[in-house]
Amino acid sequence: MNAVSLRAYVAAGAIALGLSSHAAVAQPVEVQWWHAMNGVNGERVDELVKKFNESNDQYKVVAVNKGNYDEVINSTIAAYRAKRPPHIVQIYERGFMTMLLSDAIVPVQDLMDKTGHKVDWNDFIKPVAGFYAYKGRLAAMPFNSSSPILYYNQDQFKKAGFDKPAETWGEFEKQLYAVKKSGASGCGTALATDYHWSMIENYSAINDQPYATKANGYNGLDTEFVYNKTLVVPQVARLKRWLDDGILQIAGQGFSPEQLFTSGTCATYFASTAAHSGIERNSKISWSATFLPWEEGRQPKNSTIGGAALWVIKGHKPEEEKAIAAFFDFLAKPETQLWWHKATGYVPLTNKAYELAKSQGYYKESPTREIAIQQLNRGTPTENSLGFHFGNFTQSMFAQREEVEALFAGKKDAQQAMDDAVKRGNEILRQYERLNKGKY
Amino acid sequence: MVVPPHEPGLKHAHFRTAGLPTLLLLPQLLILLFFFFIPSLRALAQAFLLADPFGATVHFVWFDNFTALFASESYRNSVWVTIWFTLGQNVVTIVVALILAFATDRVVRFQSAYKGVILLPYAIAPVIAGVMWAFLFNPAVGPIAFFIKSLGFAWDPNRNGSDAMLLVILAASWKHICYDYIFLVAGLLAVPKSLMEAAAVDGAGPVKRFFQIALPLLGPTLFFLATMNFVYGFFETFAIIDAVTHGGPAGATNILVYKVFQDGFVNLDLGSSAAQSVLLMSFALLLTLLQFKYVERKVNYSI
Repeated sequence: MNAVSLRAYVAAGAIALGLSSHAAVAQPVEVQWWHAMNGVNGERVDELVKKFNESNDQYKVVAVNKGNYDEVINSTIAAYRAKRPPHIVQIYERGFMTMLLSDAIVPVQDLMDKTGHKVDWNDFIKPVAGFYAYKGRLAAMPFNSSSPILYYNQDQFKKAGFDKPAETWGEFEKQLYAVKKSGASGCGTALATDYHWSMIENYSAINDQPYATKANGYNGLDTEFVYNKTLVVPQVARLKRWLDDGILQIAGQGFSPEQLFTSGTCATYFASTAAHSGIERNSKISWSATFLPWEEGRQPKNSTIGGAALWVIKGHKPEEEKAIAAFFDFLAKPETQLWWHKATGYVPLTNKAYELAKSQGYYKESPTREIAIQQLNRGTPTENSLGFHFGNFTQSMFAQREEVEALFAGKKDAQQAMDDAVKRGNEILRQYERLNKGKY
Repeated sequence: MVVPPHEPGLKHAHFRTAGLPTLLLLPQLLILLFFFFIPSLRALAQAFLLADPFGATVHFVWFDNFTALFASESYRNSVWVTIWFTLGQNVVTIVVALILAFATDRVVRFQSAYKGVILLPYAIAPVIAGVMWAFLFNPAVGPIAFFIKSLGFAWDPNRNGSDAMLLVILAASWKHICYDYIFLVAGLLAVPKSLMEAAAVDGAGPVKRFFQIALPLLGPTLFFLATMNFVYGFFETFAIIDAVTHGGPAGATNILVYKVFQDGFVNLDLGSSAAQSVLLMSFALLLTLLQFKYVERKVNYSI
């Protein structure tokens, strides 16, 4: 839906409301929110907005689904250049630097201060607040945050003689081979479409491996990738070995890897905690979940977040900014957080919401829903586990995936593939540095 | 009026003033202006810039975007992939369409049903076609993949680049065979019956008649189709690539037009994407010119 037809639609709706109520109430201030949630989570967003709109008569949020994350950021750019941007946009975590240095946004903490809202930012859990902060202040409103966890098929593990997946990669690997050998399942694990996130990036964070210099980009645009000199190299070599031995299966196009798990073909699945709703609905297997494995002898660190945050586009009227702030205030409430957490599987973003869930006994009935938040809160974050702040991170991620695919195809060995990925990634970082020199 | 008065033909006979023809051309020209000329000029300008997608920071970088492309291994890979893909797609499409067109005359019963079935793929949206091909040939679930594997061939387009290339060539050709087929059937109908009958009297069989008489006379049609197939392969196969392979594995099916999309739309590297689209258009122009200059000469237009 384009901006014009949307406005016409809203205007028509407003007229209809006016006629039916016969009341001379002042029109609520309306703000547009472009988001990327579809399917079940899209319905949840609509419910969320409805809750807010019914909770007050001053402000009204209109949520519009603009497709997937790529499409939302592209629509935002197009609308901004056409000088008709929406008020709030949901942008994936990889777009952090793009948004931060875009000159197109109002940092959320500035907005809340200006409009006189008191939000306890210190109550936001560290890997989330730490990720979306710039110079100690939040630039975007954390919204849907997730973290990868390990789902597994309980029956197949039992059949092979195991209670649950082992804590370390070495032991876990032996289990997967045993599960296949026992005939409990034909495949050990299905390769998720976002495997780079769970099996390479989060692997580095949890095992406290540097991914790039300058604290993974937090301390400067002159950051350089270094993961070709860390445990990432044997990690991708392990994936290649699994693939050759039939332990790891690629679902490929036209087919979802989640189905390989929920249909009982593969015994485990590395995926976001937000996959809960899908797995709960579709699987006929008895499944559970646990923490991501770590390397033996290491103290596991926190995992990092995925998902998205809400950015405020600058240049809107003061009363509209007030409406945005009121909506964010509503989002930060523990009750809203808890509802969103339960409805979607995304993690609660504040400690208060987390405590509330615990006190209600929510994790007794749904223990797997707590894994991601425990994993995110584990230990004290180090420079290697706080998260990744790279310019054009989507681009370097795709370059890395291409190199991993070259490894999978047997065209390169693991070291060569990661060397080339780092080389291409650094070219991308340098281009970003050249463009944004002096802005960070 | 631009047409000189002595020029014969329809233009002169029907339009005595410039007003009406201009008016009739206007809608088409406006569409071209807004959807082709203005975007092309903007792409050309963008190709010399290093720019933030939001437009906040813009540096003029001369030819840096182009030199970066020529230095980039993945771009060179993409050029080769495009060449193999368009050649493969061209050969498969024309050969299959020729066989089907040749066979049309020999189908005695249900000839219209035969034609209808062949034309069906053209009506299917490329994305749907792509998803269907991806699914049928998916090594985990696809029935055709199972069949290939049961014959003893290794088949995994998710890992093996040549398998993936074969798959997208087949999918893209399947979608385009009907287009070539229509033109070839029409071309065969235009072959004079007298020539064919004379050859038959001289004892030439159907196959010999096809190769000795029909095929040379189809020259102009084949030439036209080859050009159209290249254009199709260059620009219109985007949706099929997106649905079947996403340009993978390891860039094995990352044709130029898909890379333009990937770098511009997903990676938000607008300067590089614009430079790529400028180069792609130049390739297409160059190829079309070469075809008309060298291939066309050898085509016999007169009957």
